[in-house]
Amino acid sequence: MRRGLVLLPYAVGIAVALALPRVMYPVLALDILLWGLFAMSVDLLLGYVGLLSFGHAAFWGLGAYAAAIAAKSADIPFALAAILGAGASALLAVPFGYLATRRRGIYFAMVTLAFAQLVFYVANEWRDLTGGENGLHGVPRTFPGLSLGRSADFYYAALPLITLGYFLAYRIVHSPFGHVLVAIRDNEPRAQALGYATWRYKVLAFVLSGGLAGLAGGLFALGNGFASLDLLHWTTSGQAVLITILGGIGTLWGSLLGAVIVLELRDALTSAPEASGVVTGAVFVVIVLAFRRGLWATGRDALRRFAAPPVSARIDISGGEVRHGRS
Amino acid sequence: MKKTLAGALAVLLLTAACGGGTGAGPSGGTVKLSDGKLVIAVINDQSGVYADLSGKNAVEAVKMAVEDFKAKYGENALGGSVEVLTADHQNKADVAQQKAQEFYERNNADLILDVPTSSAALAIADVAKTEKKLYINVTAATTDLTGKSCNKYTFHYAYDTYMLAQGTGITVTQQGGKSWYIIYPNYAFGQDMEKSFRQAVTAAGGNVVQSDGSPFPNTTGDFSSLLLKAGQLKPQVLGAMQAGGDLVNVVKQYNEFKLKDQNIKLAVGLLFDTDITAVGQDALAGTVYTTPWLWSMDEQSKAFADKFLKRTNIRPTFAHAANYSAAWQYMEAIRRAGSDDADAVVKQLEGYKFNDFFIRNGFVRPEDHWVQHDALIAQVKPKSEAKEAFDYSKVVSTIAADKASRPLSEAGCSMPK
Repeated sequence: MRRGLVLLPYAVGIAVALALPRVMYPVLALDILLWGLFAMSVDLLLGYVGLLSFGHAAFWGLGAYAAAIAAKSADIPFALAAILGAGASALLAVPFGYLATRRRGIYFAMVTLAFAQLVFYVANEWRDLTGGENGLHGVPRTFPGLSLGRSADFYYAALPLITLGYFLAYRIVHSPFGHVLVAIRDNEPRAQALGYATWRYKVLAFVLSGGLAGLAGGLFALGNGFASLDLLHWTTSGQAVLITILGGIGTLWGSLLGAVIVLELRDALTSAPEASGVVTGAVFVVIVLAFRRGLWATGRDALRRFAAPPVSARIDISGGEVRHGRS
Repeated sequence: MKKTLAGALAVLLLTAACGGGTGAGPSGGTVKLSDGKLVIAVINDQSGVYADLSGKNAVEAVKMAVEDFKAKYGENALGGSVEVLTADHQNKADVAQQKAQEFYERNNADLILDVPTSSAALAIADVAKTEKKLYINVTAATTDLTGKSCNKYTFHYAYDTYMLAQGTGITVTQQGGKSWYIIYPNYAFGQDMEKSFRQAVTAAGGNVVQSDGSPFPNTTGDFSSLLLKAGQLKPQVLGAMQAGGDLVNVVKQYNEFKLKDQNIKLAVGLLFDTDITAVGQDALAGTVYTTPWLWSMDEQSKAFADKFLKRTNIRPTFAHAANYSAAWQYMEAIRRAGSDDADAVVKQLEGYKFNDFFIRNGFVRPEDHWVQHDALIAQVKPKSEAKEAFDYSKVVSTIAADKASRPLSEAGCSMPK
């Protein structure tokens, strides 16, 4: 009985993911899942290590460019191209993480932003490879035995890979490694005193996070058929952080919810441009004020109080958050 | 009235001639729409830096074209209703691409129009290619649309970087501006412009002393280091390739540094009427530039501009006029084809020769889908010479259509059949 209850949210999640392209536009549905994964990678650092990265566009963009270039130059299956993108981003995250994790707080954010800007300018100048401002277009997506012409087809083909990404994020958070990360977040000197080489943990978390962002970015480029300079722009980093905060920091699944809201809003407002700034701003202000801990966390707590006050604490229906006392 | 009659007669004759001559399509002008209605979607920037030069008023222009078309040929001119959709792409390529896909797939759009920002335009060209639906680009300047990214369903209307360079680069050099200092925004558009201008100036017997890129986006709006350098280099011409807001800053600082008094002439790459409104006419007075069209160039253009003014309270930029004209020519092509089927319309457009208030000596090149036509060299007048509001420029000379178009040998387009 209890096991069934634990699995229920996942079954619902999978059912929703499968039905999504039928109820909304498949391209938008794919974007929501990918931005969700991207924001999750930000949340992995922000929510579980306490590091606010303001330069994740570098990994999302590099993943996109690497996958696009691979798919364009060699006729490889899209899944391989996406994994190549993830690999490239994880590789880039090694030196960046190595340097950036020596700082905390605002300084960490500044350093990551600076690195991302570096990547942006390299991509802008290296026109032969990246197409500069025009970007790379006509990125093919193929997989032996599948026809991926329609966007709904690609959505279903990419779904296993995206799910794998979510699963990885979930596993990282729920592993002993993830628990050490939370310990570092809560009190780094104490974790050090316990014998953990905290800096190494932080670098590894940074690399894993970069790789996930790269996977999402790679699939984004393949799904949309192009990689452009926007993907590397600092506002892209900002949007990922925004999605994480709206959904709820340190909840993982909140990032998905945040992505639904941000992207749906953006889509709806393309036909009402005069209202876009005001409406977006107002919605964000309301969410931040009314849902202090993000939509997911606040919603879950409300549900718990409503459903079964005393015992519910044992059944973590979010399945996402590591709850450690922050006394 | 007389003009409308004559026009209608000419079109009738033409339709008859086409129908009779090639035997393709019904000649009577009865149109059968595939889904009972025609859908035209305008995707552009309605909230950012390009919102003024095209934006919402470009949508109005397209709506005007539809209304005028019905007024001319009757309510049932196209065999069904005509719907105009629009979306703000916020100058983001991914938003543009998604909207295009959605319009084609979900709203059954038959045509997408406008689309400033070259990365967005190129993204939509890709969608048009895979969806096999039409896209007529108006406001993006990149020659890639008719070059390495060309495809069967994409057309390029109005202007491109080649036209601008041929016009301004050659004319100014021939008028005695032999030595040039070029400053350009350091991204694809600016670099294209720098390359094209360098070629044009050199071909006309001039000499580019030096060229420098300015950071893009230039958030501080500071171009003083480049302008000080211009003061030291003392070229005869300062060629500014910046566009929109950046151009406005360059011009203001050009005036502050009093470069005009040192006999350094200003030539700009791309100038919209809305930029002149922003800087002030006198600050730009004397500037020579290339444009595909001016609202004040002749009577039929003024007639359009008057109608446009009544509707939007501004005079049209060439982007507004071009959107009207492109929509109009598309609907004409449907009447000739007798159907809104994309392949049939493409067939009617390719190789088509035409004139309207915007396009003179027009010809749709079948090889790369560049719509070639005459371009104008214009000069900004001082405010004292302006007869009314928005009367900014006068025509200096006309560049013949073939001179204003990139030679096919340089296009590098291999059109898939």
